[in-house]
Amino acid sequence: MSQQQTKNCITLRGSAQIICEYLKFAINSVLFQRGLYPPETFKAEQQYGITLLISEDPLIKSFLTNLLTQSEEWIVNKKVTKLSLVIINVANKEVLECWDFNVQYEDGDVALSKEKNETVGSKELKKIQQEIRDVMLQVAATISYLPFLDCRCSFDVLVHAKPHCDIPEKWAEAEPISISNAQNVQLKTFSTSLHKMETVVSYKLAD
Amino acid sequence: MAKETDMSLFNDVLEPFRRVINTDPPKDKLSASSKLNFSETNQSLKEGLSNLLSNKRKSTLGSSELLTPEKRSRIEPSSNKITAPPSPWEAKRLKIDLIAAKAQITKLEARVNHQHTIRKEMQILFEEEKASLIDQHKRDERALSDMEERLQVIRKREQELKDEHSEALKEFQESKSKWEKDKADFQKQIADLKDKLLESNVSSKDQISEMKKDMDELLQALEGAQSEVEMLKKEVAKQTSRAEQCTSLRTQLEKQTFELQQVTNKLKELEYERDSYKDWQQQAKTAQKRLSNMAELEKEVIRLRASERCLRDAVCNKLLLEEQVHLLTSRVEALQPVQQELHEAKVKMASLESSLEEWKNAARAHGVDSARALSSVLESALSNQLTAVAGHSEAQSQMAQLTEEIATVKYERDKVTTKLNDLQAVRKNQESLIHRLQKRLLLVTRERDSYRQQLDCYEKELSVTLCGESGAGSAALLSSRVEQLEKALQGYRDLLAAHDQEAHAKTVEGLRAEASRWREEAETARREVNKLRAQRDQLQAHLERLAAPHAHLTKVLHLTDNPAAAAHKEMQVDLETAQEEIKRLKAALREGGTAVCPEEMQQLRQQLENSRIKLKRMKEEFTSSAQEYRDVVYMLLGYKIDRTGHKNYRLSNMYAESAEEYLTFTLCDDGIEMVHTEYSASLSELVELHLHHHRSIPVFLSALTMELFTRTTIQQEVQ
Repeated sequence: MSQQQTKNCITLRGSAQIICEYLKFAINSVLFQRGLYPPETFKAEQQYGITLLISEDPLIKSFLTNLLTQSEEWIVNKKVTKLSLVIINVANKEVLECWDFNVQYEDGDVALSKEKNETVGSKELKKIQQEIRDVMLQVAATISYLPFLDCRCSFDVLVHAKPHCDIPEKWAEAEPISISNAQNVQLKTFSTSLHKMETVVSYKLAD
Repeated sequence: MAKETDMSLFNDVLEPFRRVINTDPPKDKLSASSKLNFSETNQSLKEGLSNLLSNKRKSTLGSSELLTPEKRSRIEPSSNKITAPPSPWEAKRLKIDLIAAKAQITKLEARVNHQHTIRKEMQILFEEEKASLIDQHKRDERALSDMEERLQVIRKREQELKDEHSEALKEFQESKSKWEKDKADFQKQIADLKDKLLESNVSSKDQISEMKKDMDELLQALEGAQSEVEMLKKEVAKQTSRAEQCTSLRTQLEKQTFELQQVTNKLKELEYERDSYKDWQQQAKTAQKRLSNMAELEKEVIRLRASERCLRDAVCNKLLLEEQVHLLTSRVEALQPVQQELHEAKVKMASLESSLEEWKNAARAHGVDSARALSSVLESALSNQLTAVAGHSEAQSQMAQLTEEIATVKYERDKVTTKLNDLQAVRKNQESLIHRLQKRLLLVTRERDSYRQQLDCYEKELSVTLCGESGAGSAALLSSRVEQLEKALQGYRDLLAAHDQEAHAKTVEGLRAEASRWREEAETARREVNKLRAQRDQLQAHLERLAAPHAHLTKVLHLTDNPAAAAHKEMQVDLETAQEEIKRLKAALREGGTAVCPEEMQQLRQQLENSRIKLKRMKEEFTSSAQEYRDVVYMLLGYKIDRTGHKNYRLSNMYAESAEEYLTFTLCDDGIEMVHTEYSASLSELVELHLHHHRSIPVFLSALTMELFTRTTIQQEVQ
């Protein structure tokens, strides 16, 4: 029995890594699905038992690694509440779409945590991955109802951190965004038993 | 099947032995078997074999056992033979011998059997071996045939390749020879060309020398000509002197001719004078004649005067008459309108008469003969009408009155009906009231009755108590009273039950049911409210979470070099460059279109010029070639073809006698057609034959050419 528990033990760091991995794939998937970058710059990769597309653009890659390493640190320290992937019309800086990734912190397996002397979860990795796969499939399906982006668009990722959080180098405070006449669609949530990830997409409803 | 499997197993087991057997010659085996009795090694081998056999092939062993009774049967007669009483030793000996013989026989039989089994096994082994060998043989044969086929294929391929090779070689040689031939030809050509060059060189040299000679000759001729020129100059001088002499002669001649003219003029004047003199003579003659006629003339004058007087009188008369005519015409003019009026009056009168007749007829039809009677009748009719009109108006007023009355009556009726309705309602109420009152009356009467009974009862009681106060009597009275009271009570109850209970129970039940229903509804509504409230709270919380992203609780951070910023920068840069370009272009435009790129303009102009020249040349070329083409057509086919208009062509023959002799053709959708002309009308024979019969224009044209040619040649011959 104790063997089983140690096998399914997820540390805080590991959970944060899972979250960040999910964010990486989710952001790439959105970029691909919403056609922000040409499809030939994406490469197919097997993950969570499905084929996902990852951008090969070096700029996007470096941006995401910078973002996610910092975010992982923050998630471990419970300083982030939400990450927002905003899709902006370049011409007039209007926010057309916003993908909110809400991070909630959970206690995990309390008994095991006491035993281990650190916060750990005991959810099976397989189950977590299955949940993530469901969310990814939903993300891919959003293309059927999201409005067509017919202008030059770009994206940005805003991290909603706790107010006492320090601003590291290369980071800056951004203006909170809002979408006029927004329509919200909540996708499935998944949990690592330490972190709960809630994905919501808001888009500007066509007039 | 079992046996077969047994056999295969057996074979497996025998495999090692078979090898041994195969290696050993069969003779050894036989010898070994013959020695079986005596050698122990062979015995052991035999034992091993028999053991093996006993495992699998008991049936064979069984057969050996079957042989024993036969032997016994053989033995038995031998024992029976010994009928004579032998000596006991002999008998003993014989018995021993017999036993020994028997033993030997059994041994030998066993050996024989064993040999048989071995042989059978061997046979089986050999057959198997043989089968396998045959299989292998077959396989080998097949492999061999395959190999042969392959070999053949390879040979064929080789052959093909060889053929190809030889063909290629042939081709190569052919091409080589061809090229050599070509080379030789070219060399020959080169040599020819060289010869030609030399020849041309020589010829040019010859020409040059000839030309030099010519030049010399020409120079000599020039000198000759110069000398001639001098001679001619001298002669010219001579001629000029002679010419001067000639001019002087001419002036003299002119003078003489002038004089001659003067003389001739004078002559003419003289002739004219002579003619005028002749005229005068004639006039004089006529005057003399007139003088002779003078008396006659005077007479005539008198006569003429008389006639003149007559004429004057006539003129006076005429004036008078004219005045009279004038007067009469004026009177006529005055009378004409009067006449017209008269006519009109007549017409009017006729029409009036006709109308009068009509009137009269009409009057007669009404039985009136005179005008007075008519007027009276009319008057009476008018009075009648008047009275009728009055009656009509009266009737109308009456009608109006009546309608008004009707309306009032209707209104009243409505009122009455409403009242009636009200009254009916009231009556119904009253009836219900009456009903109720009757019921109540019934109740009251019953009550009254009951009270009366009670009163009676009391009275009785009173009378009883008054009559005697016996215990038994009082008890009976009391009991009767109780009974009565109970009865009364029962009556009340019945009454109550009869009247109120039903309705009351019903209403009560209905109300209860309703109340419970309402209660339930209220319960469900409350539950729903709670649920909705919870939902609302949840949604509100959700909305808050979604809409207001904890602006006060969180700090929004992002990477400074995010793709959006980069894209925005890029966009701005693009915009700036575009604006700059626009500015540049605008400036260029303001300066003037030509100043934008003079080089290009120059280039374009040059190109334009070039193309123009090209076009001109092409036009020239085209016209010249067209002319050439036309000439060639004319020379070859004998017809000059002119295009006279859209799809119209005029053909004139080379041998035509005049320019009017031409044919006209038009191009139609389905071919070409000849148009009727004067000339074509004269060629009806050819047209009939070649166009209508042969349906061929070329044949017709050639025939025409032939005919014209023969005509012209005949004419020439005739000349």
